[in-house]
Amino acid sequence: MQVIARAYDWLINTMRVLAGVVIFAVFILIVSDVLIRLAGLQPWIYSTIIVEYSLLWFAMLAAPYLTRIKGHVFIDAVTAMLSVRLRWYVEKLAYIICITASVVFAWYSWDLLIEAITDGLIDVRAEEIPLWYLLAPMPCCFVLVTVEFLRYLLGFDTMYGDRTDVRDNV
Amino acid sequence: MEWLSALTFSGMEWYWAFALLLGMIMFMMALGVPVAFAFLTTNIVGWIGFNGFNLDAILQVVENSTVLITRFTLAPVPMFIMMGSLFFHTGLAIRVFDGLDALFGRLPGRLCFLTVAGGSIFSTLTGSSMANTAMLGSLMVPEMQRRGYNRQMSMGPILGTGGLAMIIPPSALGVLLASVASIAVGRLLIAGLLPGFTLAALYAGMIGLQLWMNPGSAPPYDVAPTSTGQKLKLVMTNILPMGFVVFMVIGFIIFGWATPTEAAAIGVLGVMILAAAFRVLTRRAIVTSVDSTVRVAAMVFFILMNSTVFSQLLAFSGASAGMLEWATSFEVNRLIVLLVMFGVLLMLGMFMDATSMMLITVPIFFPLANQLGFDLVWFGLFVLITIEMAGTTPPFGLLLYVMMGVAPKGTTLFQVAKAAFPFLICDTILILILVAFPELALWLPSLM
Repeated sequence: MQVIARAYDWLINTMRVLAGVVIFAVFILIVSDVLIRLAGLQPWIYSTIIVEYSLLWFAMLAAPYLTRIKGHVFIDAVTAMLSVRLRWYVEKLAYIICITASVVFAWYSWDLLIEAITDGLIDVRAEEIPLWYLLAPMPCCFVLVTVEFLRYLLGFDTMYGDRTDVRDNV
Repeated sequence: MEWLSALTFSGMEWYWAFALLLGMIMFMMALGVPVAFAFLTTNIVGWIGFNGFNLDAILQVVENSTVLITRFTLAPVPMFIMMGSLFFHTGLAIRVFDGLDALFGRLPGRLCFLTVAGGSIFSTLTGSSMANTAMLGSLMVPEMQRRGYNRQMSMGPILGTGGLAMIIPPSALGVLLASVASIAVGRLLIAGLLPGFTLAALYAGMIGLQLWMNPGSAPPYDVAPTSTGQKLKLVMTNILPMGFVVFMVIGFIIFGWATPTEAAAIGVLGVMILAAAFRVLTRRAIVTSVDSTVRVAAMVFFILMNSTVFSQLLAFSGASAGMLEWATSFEVNRLIVLLVMFGVLLMLGMFMDATSMMLITVPIFFPLANQLGFDLVWFGLFVLITIEMAGTTPPFGLLLYVMMGVAPKGTTLFQVAKAAFPFLICDTILILILVAFPELALWLPSLM
């Protein structure tokens, strides 16, 4: 069991690192594009599309990690006024809503991904790109986000900690 | 399955649709459901309901969310966040403060004025209000407390100035707003320049007024004398080089070398070059900055992915069009409508973060403002200033919490909010100036 937990933690952390790599690559790509154009050369036609796709990949790769570190912004002004017991129930209800939405999104994004692969669906932008390139990270991301919310639901951790840790996110 | 079809929302009057959709979002947010997931759940329920309880509508939600988030115009958001992070983590921000510190001499309330001056410069270099407030707060509050400044004077100017980053270009939130509301990014960014510095001047005036009313709130103290030569040297080495980064962002846009979208990445390059020149560009600083970017930008993008689909849902349900028709059917002065929008934003800001409230209101407010004949760039700036104000209103103003995070232990939310209040008055004055003289915002964009 410990091996699985460690492997899982490694996966979440690796995805976070990959999100960082993706966003740094976006920076390099945009700067290169501008410099190439200023040098009077023709920029690479795929750079805009890669930047656009990277924005989704970056958000998806980081989502499970954000859930783990309570990085998704939420409002606790109302729940803070409830009694401890009632807050416990409300907290669990909030996790159940998040889990349900994540499972539905994981299921249907998987459905769409399979359809995109089998039917050869195309995303038409500046160039034509297979749609599954765009959809690929979504099912996995939402499954992992579901697991993270399940951890909260089962009481391994709580999402509603000290709000002042927002400073760490700056 | 008869009962299922009874659950369909099709044919619902616009006001019921409007109340249902916004009510669902608000209810889930009140439960503590993360904002992104509140949007996501509402989208799923709403799309199914307004499509005659057809579960396949969820496929549309998934597809739309991937399309709307993958727009090149959104790329500056993570870039500006990275630029701000690098600026802080390399220590360049501290150098600016050291330079400014020498200029103020033995002025009463010098640390407050230093905050406004430093904050205005930081704003042109970071584009993130949270980063600005955290930086100013962690740097200045301990020093102000040590020098005997009361809480009002030590936290107020920081909260006010921290928010300047929202309007002084480059502003990460400004880029986001321009992208979501489909207005020219460059024009909106440039429009914030003069109002931003006017606001800084208003803040300085407010500090002067507070000092005049209560001189003991920020007692003067002795500082080591600095010769004019030393001051000049500090300005040359610590402040003027920052102009290079400003040039890399604004200059590249003005000279047409880069689009406003690309200029954000050029800004990151500018900070890196500057940090390398000062020999403070370390691998650790880069890694930490990228990690901060992942945390903040991915959070924003995850909300954005779902909120843009929510805008579509509002339109699809007929709520947006119905609301628009209703709001413009009254024979009232358009300034009254503006006042109502101002009130709604402030109210939302009491319990909602800047990104969420912006994304909820854009699909409703911008078509309305357009219909009423407001210049959308001017209106965008109005929204940004109001959101900045909302960020410092309790109980949820995010900047208040950032300040609490860096303030001395025992500081209460009420104390922080009270300190911010005089600066909210300055924001209101700026809005009134902008209403009376829209050219203050629109003159610079008109030159583009």
